[in-house]
Amino acid sequence: MPTRIKLIDGQFSLVEDPFTHVSDDQDLPRGDLIISLTRFQNEGERLLSEGRAVGVRLEPAEEVEVLAYDLARLAVVAVAFPKFNDGRGYTAARLLRERYDFKGEVRAVGDILREQAGFMVRVGIDAFEPADGSTPEQWAHAAHRQRHVYQRAADRRTPAFAERE
Amino acid sequence: MYQYDTLDKEFLADRAAEFREQVARRLAGEITEDQFKPIRLMNGLYLQLHAYMLRVAIPYGSLNPVQLRVLADIGRKYDKGYGHFTTRQNLQFHWIKLADTPEILDALAAVDMHAIQTSGNCIRNTTSDPYAGATAEEIDDPRVWAEAIRQWSSLHPEYSFLPRKFKIAITAAAKDRTAAKVHDIGLMLRRGRDGTMGFEVIVGGGLGRTPYVGPTIKEFLPANRLLSYLDAILRVFNRHGRRDNKYKARIKILVSALGAAEFARQVEEEWAKVGTVGDLPDTEIARIRGAFAPTAFDTLINRSEAFEAAKAADPGLARFARNNLREHKRAGYTIVEISLKGIGDTPGDATSDQMDVVADLAERYGQNDVRVTHEQNLVLPHVKLDDVPAVYAALKAAGIGTPNINLISDIIACPGLDYCALANARAIPIAQDIARTFADQDRAELIGELKIKISGCINACGHHHVGHIGILGVDKKGEEFYQLTLGGSGAEDAAVGSALGPALPADRVAPAIDILVDVYLRERAEGERFLDTFRRTGVTPFKEAVYADAH
Amino acid sequence: MKALTGNRLTDGDVVFWRAGEWVERFVDAELFADAEAGEAAEASAKSQQTVIVDPYLIDLVESEGLWAPLSYRERLRALGPTNHLHHGKQAEGGAAIEALQHASGAARSTGRVNLIKR
Repeated sequence: MPTRIKLIDGQFSLVEDPFTHVSDDQDLPRGDLIISLTRFQNEGERLLSEGRAVGVRLEPAEEVEVLAYDLARLAVVAVAFPKFNDGRGYTAARLLRERYDFKGEVRAVGDILREQAGFMVRVGIDAFEPADGSTPEQWAHAAHRQRHVYQRAADRRTPAFAERE
Repeated sequence: MYQYDTLDKEFLADRAAEFREQVARRLAGEITEDQFKPIRLMNGLYLQLHAYMLRVAIPYGSLNPVQLRVLADIGRKYDKGYGHFTTRQNLQFHWIKLADTPEILDALAAVDMHAIQTSGNCIRNTTSDPYAGATAEEIDDPRVWAEAIRQWSSLHPEYSFLPRKFKIAITAAAKDRTAAKVHDIGLMLRRGRDGTMGFEVIVGGGLGRTPYVGPTIKEFLPANRLLSYLDAILRVFNRHGRRDNKYKARIKILVSALGAAEFARQVEEEWAKVGTVGDLPDTEIARIRGAFAPTAFDTLINRSEAFEAAKAADPGLARFARNNLREHKRAGYTIVEISLKGIGDTPGDATSDQMDVVADLAERYGQNDVRVTHEQNLVLPHVKLDDVPAVYAALKAAGIGTPNINLISDIIACPGLDYCALANARAIPIAQDIARTFADQDRAELIGELKIKISGCINACGHHHVGHIGILGVDKKGEEFYQLTLGGSGAEDAAVGSALGPALPADRVAPAIDILVDVYLRERAEGERFLDTFRRTGVTPFKEAVYADAH
Repeated sequence: MKALTGNRLTDGDVVFWRAGEWVERFVDAELFADAEAGEAAEASAKSQQTVIVDPYLIDLVESEGLWAPLSYRERLRALGPTNHLHHGKQAEGGAAIEALQHASGAARSTGRVNLIKR
């Protein structure tokens, strides 16, 4: 079974991934799935009624607001970063956590590199499919590098201004 | 000067340690150049024509003498004994070795300096008024707000991969010394009718391929709501700015495409959702304000007999006083501008020895405060009139006593093709030519304020669009040509200049400037600057004179 | 005629290809009369990931009996900045440097690569 790095209670570890990524032109396998927004809008109802866990892959141009009424039924939102430098996914993840209080898994998929680990954790992403072969140890090292942060974000770390109080 | 506490210091140390590892991974071949390039750019390290270039951040252009001496030392130890001050109030070293950069960053971090976000598609160094805290024109010290923005924007998790780079300028004086209206965001501190403090928010100005003077999208933003409002602007930009074409990716294109009113509406809508949770608590603003080292001013009268006598005895000092001093908010003090535009020198360059001299002067006479201007000069913001003769003597001995601030030889120039991998033509030799043409200081003073700005390519680092005379280097079939524009301004009367006519070869640029100046001197009415005359007469008399022999 | 150039990874210095090695002076560079030989060297250079950054071929012209880079930009790389004549490779002086300084034949930079992106 494939794996992804998962952040649980502040620890990064390699965890088996029960979800299968399915593209729009593939037949649906059994089990839990991550599908595109379009496919979810067409087939999500049926898949959920079959008792499967369903995740949606959100592309950078797709607005997270579209998912607002479905979030309670989703197990995963896979935020796509087709290129590491397309930063729209950071906003999407942060809004999922802060504005919609999404409690499921927010997973980073695509061109996911160690250098982004700190930023991703801070916007509330808790599962990672690194494209650079990073191990959980390397990922943890990169994510925890800064002892202090200056801003409030979705990870609830105490920002510097509050640390100073 | 803001005093870093343990948190601020550890933040820089951690980032320097990360970069050390990244460099090691690259040198060991664990990552390719394609992977490393964005990493090094996030830390201001470019590969230019002859070597690596490291851009060191100077937050809002503010330095203390200890920092300036470390910059001087880095120049001596790792570069060729000099540094180049930029139009973003930063400092660039042009001859850096990749293998040395971890050491350099450690040396910087030891004195609270860094290269974080001096490149990349992130929020860059926030620039501010070099006279902050010294001029009577301001309604508050903009450095307090600039420091709040520095902290908020540093390694921001949501806004480190924007569609394009993002530059913020902030001023609290009516006279704008920050070019706020040609920034992605320009913030102008104002007092509301009820006396409360707030910002006029200008968004979507910019230079480059498509220059814009930014529109005001909010007339009065309560000061304590600054960060949540910036959050809203950045979020709208991050989501909707174009990412398909790097030349259309700056926020100015988004604002222009949507229209300022619609952009403002989207920002307001997002701002309402962000709410006050996005703001800094007032206690933190107060802490930042209190963390600026206090300045201790003596109670003086606004006249120094020693200074007056020295001026009477030394015409050179008198000339320096006429051109390089600015009014201070306290009686008996003055703001001293140090020109890095010596005739024939490279604009913005300072040798390590010159930096040491300025550091010494700041310590001895200037309350440990040094500023960098976006016009590539330095400032000692708090000098007693009594001490000006000594300061001038030391500057002059170091070769940085040139009395030409705001005059025709006080030229902005980007590094151009002499250094920059993006440039199409050289900029520095053109500046040197022009400065030599107007080396006669009497004539320069007669001409008065005239801002010449030179860029070696359309990216416009030399701000040519907003020069009273702008000069853009272009590559015409492999030869360097220069396109002149007239009538631009980067100040409170911001305007984008208009093209004069066909581009000129390099050796005709300085003579053409001479002709433009002659036309101005002929046409000008009482009290008019070059810019004012141009605005009154339009381009015709200037164009006819420069291209007379072409007919 | 072509030469192969790039910037050295560790220090960013401008270097030129010579039979699988990198040399610092343009005058020592290997000259390729044959396009295929140049391209083969370029391909080989590109595999030297820990040595060289973005190697590329440049066009040369004959100027006063010597070969010089055709483009102004490449001559600046081979010499150093014109505002500091004691900085860069030109500091060494000598006949080869002087010849480069006098070379003409400006043309659009060939082989120009987008070395950096702001």
